[in-house]
Amino acid sequence: MSNQYLVEPCLDFVEQVASLGGDSVKKCYQCATCTVACTIAPDNSPFPRKEMIATSWGLKDRVLGSADIWMCHECGDCSELCPRGAQPADVLSAARSAAITEYATPKFLGKMVNDAKMLPLFLGIPAAWFALMAFITMTMGESMEKLFKGFGMHWHHHTDAPIASADFVSSWLVDVTFVPLLNLSILIFLIGLIKFVKDIHANAVLEGKTDKTDFNLVQYLVSVVKAIPTIMLHKKFNECGENKSRALAHQMVLFGFIGCFIVTAIFFVVLYIGGVAGPYDQINPVKILANIAGVGIVVGSFLMIKDRLAKSEPSSFKDWALLVLVFGLGATGMLTQGVRLLGYIDGLVGIAQVVSYFFYYIHLILIFCLFAYLPFSKMAHIVYRVAALGYAEYANRK
Amino acid sequence: MTTDKANPAVGSILVVGGGISGLTTTLEAAEVGYEVYVVEKNPNLGGRVSQLNQYFPKLCPPTCGLEINYRRIKDNPKIKVMTLTEVEKVEGEPGNYEVTLKLTPRFVNEKCTACGECAKACSGEIDNEFNFGMDKTKAAYLPNDMAFPMRYVLSADISAEDGKKCEEACKYGAIDLSMEAKTMTINVGAVVWATGWKPYDATKIDNLGFGQHKNIVTNMMLERLAATNGPTKGQIVRPSDGKAPATIAFAQCAGSRDENHLPYCSYICCMASLKHATYLRAQYPDAKITIYYIDLRAPGQKYEKFYKKLKEDENVFFVKGKVAEVSEEANGNIGVVAEDAVSGEKSTQSVDMLVLATGMEPSLKTDKPSADLNYNEDGFVVNDFSKGGLFAAGCANKPADVVTSNQNATGMALKAIQTLVRR
Repeated sequence: MSNQYLVEPCLDFVEQVASLGGDSVKKCYQCATCTVACTIAPDNSPFPRKEMIATSWGLKDRVLGSADIWMCHECGDCSELCPRGAQPADVLSAARSAAITEYATPKFLGKMVNDAKMLPLFLGIPAAWFALMAFITMTMGESMEKLFKGFGMHWHHHTDAPIASADFVSSWLVDVTFVPLLNLSILIFLIGLIKFVKDIHANAVLEGKTDKTDFNLVQYLVSVVKAIPTIMLHKKFNECGENKSRALAHQMVLFGFIGCFIVTAIFFVVLYIGGVAGPYDQINPVKILANIAGVGIVVGSFLMIKDRLAKSEPSSFKDWALLVLVFGLGATGMLTQGVRLLGYIDGLVGIAQVVSYFFYYIHLILIFCLFAYLPFSKMAHIVYRVAALGYAEYANRK
Repeated sequence: MTTDKANPAVGSILVVGGGISGLTTTLEAAEVGYEVYVVEKNPNLGGRVSQLNQYFPKLCPPTCGLEINYRRIKDNPKIKVMTLTEVEKVEGEPGNYEVTLKLTPRFVNEKCTACGECAKACSGEIDNEFNFGMDKTKAAYLPNDMAFPMRYVLSADISAEDGKKCEEACKYGAIDLSMEAKTMTINVGAVVWATGWKPYDATKIDNLGFGQHKNIVTNMMLERLAATNGPTKGQIVRPSDGKAPATIAFAQCAGSRDENHLPYCSYICCMASLKHATYLRAQYPDAKITIYYIDLRAPGQKYEKFYKKLKEDENVFFVKGKVAEVSEEANGNIGVVAEDAVSGEKSTQSVDMLVLATGMEPSLKTDKPSADLNYNEDGFVVNDFSKGGLFAAGCANKPADVVTSNQNATGMALKAIQTLVRR
């Protein structure tokens, strides 16, 4: 209240939040029950009451540039107690989604990724791409082998397995797609992060939420590292009263992804440096890790889908898109492998090959979605939340 | 509307409920010459007002106001008072209703002089409803010291042995243990429902700890604590240890304006808490009082003035932020958690006593008689003046203070009269 300023409402922002599932924000009458209900809101300038009024007033910068919206783990304690049915948890979730769109470059892509009508296009691109890649692999193997020999390399990687996914879409083609794609996503993230961290620091200074007025990058990065154990153990998530089970499910998926990332990295190195191709034996430790990670993703995301289906309020497209993607990734990965193993049974090779390739094809499309749309979809929370929780650590905001 | 009402108007009016609204309708109608039945389900008239320590607008004790009304009733032969009576069914049409009444036995007849010998003889005790269960009363009891009718009553739960003892102790032959519940019908031309309200059950508000922590009381309990005929003879002390409170917090909108409880504003609780602050300031000049609110509603000029005066009081603090969490400390104090929405700080205040400003729920919400009444979703009666015949007054119609209830009750007396004389 000490400093006065002219309110410049951004009405588009209010509409954007409403369309992302935060339409209940206008019901809020600022009683501040939510801030008390929240078990993880700090005492100094707690959330989500101030975000509720800032959102309904269209103060876009105040909301999107605040690290606080990322401290919320959407347990729903606030919505449960809200006397007006204003669902602050949903509003903050919508605000996070709006923040992802805001900080992603180019912005129009962010809007399109979260638009259900665009889904056929966004699935169509990778579907067409991998159809082409499969066509190249299956029809042009000989000429590619000759071409590669010219550089002293092999197009084919030798394997004894009766069915190998690399015979459907070559590992070379998979990696030539995904490695640049992931790097592009990381670049887009970096551009977004620079602005994001600048904004959340400015906001914290403005609202008196930090004891540091100058920003020190090294100290900040140290704080991010310090925050990692809390994030890994889901400590804040578990402080949320309403749903401990959700934290466990989320943890399974997170660890599943980390596991798969490690497996992929090992596979990558072993293939291109060691020249040993997959598929690996089922008893290979890397394979075992891969399977544990895969099961984690499938079970975790299944639990989250179940949880979401049980909600009285229907969830928005962005929420479902992510959950279906994650579950689909896990399920098609496991199915590709499972059906491939049936190839060891006499007489099943033919049919198993077709079915396994089909699942692999879907799997590739979904991985493309994961990597390409990462900075624009709800999945981007993995980056912004870590950055924001690291900032909370840096700013001594507890 | 040219009407041809063939029904001969029956000349009497039934008023359901003997609280401040019912008394007003009764007297307004009776004093212009109409015959009025007033039925009250409790053993005495006076309703919620009789439970207050002081009431708006003039901060009078309830005796002032109720007593003059009782006097007017006694003097008026047109009024028939029936206590321990409820309406079971209303059949018919405007101008001609047959009403079925259910009478609960009092076991004490009109010979009672309120000498109190029966209570002395009786050993069994029951919760004192008049004091919201904060103390006990004998199973043979006078509802309160200004009860009208001034007559004892035996609880339905009294033991046979105690009943006998009472009968023996009464030298006026006023105890009649053979009384039985019965139903009767009366014919009236119009019915005014002045069934009033009950305090919202605070145990339903989980996060405010009522019923879990002793030193959390409701606003109506505080009225009883402050009243000289209450359980503490007017000393406002905290329930756990009888200590005089040095810090008191009020949680406004406890259950009101809350979709999980009562979605509407109960109208009276803000002024009630401000009034309670004056009780506390008078009794404990050094006590610190904090009122936690969403918005303070002091409707009208007089109430606004009252609020302004309290705002200037250096021992009364106002915090904009709803109490949403409470805890009990080792010494019995209550930790009150709220965010001050003005400063943006969330904090816990330790107080000796927390008062929940609970709201009102219409009595008819849970006890609906068989009658052609329209209710809104909250259980208040929506008056249908084009249909006529049955009208709701006071808090049966909407949450209201005494002044508004009386204005509304006077209007409903006129509506009832119009039903009778309409041709």
